[in-house]
Amino acid sequence: MTENSIRLHGTCQPSEEETVHVTVKEACVFLSEYAASLLGCGATCIRIEKNVHRMAEAIGVDYSMVIMPATVQMTVWDKDRRHSYSNIRKIRKTGTSFSINTGLSRLSWELYDGKVGFPEAAGRMEEILQARPENRWLVLFLASAANASFCRLFGGDFISMGIVFIATLVGFRIRQMMLEDRIDIRLAFVCASFVSSVIASAGYVFGLGTTPDIALGTSVLYLVPGVPYLNSMSDLLDGHYISFLSRFLDATVLTVCLSAGLCGGFLVMNLRWF
Amino acid sequence: MDIIAGVFQDAFFAAIASIGFASISNPPRRIYPVCAGTAAVGHSLRYVLMNVAGMHLVIASLCAATVIGLMAVFLAPRTKAPAEAVSFPALLPMIPGMYAYRTFQNLILCLTGGESEFHHYFYLCGSNGLTCLAVLLVMAIGVTIPIFIFKRISFRATRQI
Repeated sequence: MTENSIRLHGTCQPSEEETVHVTVKEACVFLSEYAASLLGCGATCIRIEKNVHRMAEAIGVDYSMVIMPATVQMTVWDKDRRHSYSNIRKIRKTGTSFSINTGLSRLSWELYDGKVGFPEAAGRMEEILQARPENRWLVLFLASAANASFCRLFGGDFISMGIVFIATLVGFRIRQMMLEDRIDIRLAFVCASFVSSVIASAGYVFGLGTTPDIALGTSVLYLVPGVPYLNSMSDLLDGHYISFLSRFLDATVLTVCLSAGLCGGFLVMNLRWF
Repeated sequence: MDIIAGVFQDAFFAAIASIGFASISNPPRRIYPVCAGTAAVGHSLRYVLMNVAGMHLVIASLCAATVIGLMAVFLAPRTKAPAEAVSFPALLPMIPGMYAYRTFQNLILCLTGGESEFHHYFYLCGSNGLTCLAVLLVMAIGVTIPIFIFKRISFRATRQI
């Protein structure tokens, strides 16, 4: 009888003990979700740690965190170290996005400065994660122009630049279409680099321009995963060796795929391998 | 005169390359001009250091990356973006992409001939691979040095006061 009444009492008016439980639990779910989102948008480990630390301080909880390549493990304690919750959250992949990274970093300061309360923070985070990616046609054009100017930086002439522009336009579109159809990213890289290199060999085949070698060499450079390489090196300097290795190997696998496509292009067009 | 024209041309095309390669990683629109300017300064500095001062690629990349990191630390707070959202896109034109894929191409070619071909291609594989790794590493070191020196500014970039 007494037991029952206590339980009833407990559900109607949460004791202080239970409020702490709820806070710690919600903080744990939110922080692990936040860290998994930052990891998924390609933030460096030092960024994730700084932001999570700032938010934990603002919410008023202690935490420990492990960042693995595809998961984040988070344990959150109340300040008295009496209650804890743990959560393992799978990475929330959104593709490399500096705008999500920027939005989430700003959210951490807004929470810290009290401009956003903890209850609204989760909603704000979902809003930030829904951010639309950059218009794909604009990206297609900009990436092609970028690769053409890359050709110029390596000393190619204007005809070579034109060849590289077209090769990138077609190759990048293939990459976009294959990734939209959820085809394996490695296969997409092999196909895109193969097509780009075959188109770029036009300089050799039709004798266009004075620098066909540079056109062919730079035609696949838009596929080099630059940001993952830089992220991995940042993690290396920061001592996050597991994250460093996984990001570095991810980027290396993509580089191997693009070399494979390029080699295929050389073979098909029967070109001498430098 | 040729050098000056070369520097401006280098800066111009590096800026376009930076915007284009950055757009693949969905940056906020307002950081495009900052990235372009930072990349132009960094890449043309590397051009000068290599072609005028005759520096090695690795050392020149380190200097250029440090300057990019410095600019990013001070310009990022104005765009309300984290420092790496400015410095990483600005570094993209300096990524040693050609060295990266030549490493693996030469690795495959190692298996195609006799001993002398193997020596030749293995040497090419090793030298390309080491250069690529060294340049990537010094680029990361270069942009990190200013962040550590100006720790207080760089991690507050996204704060709105």
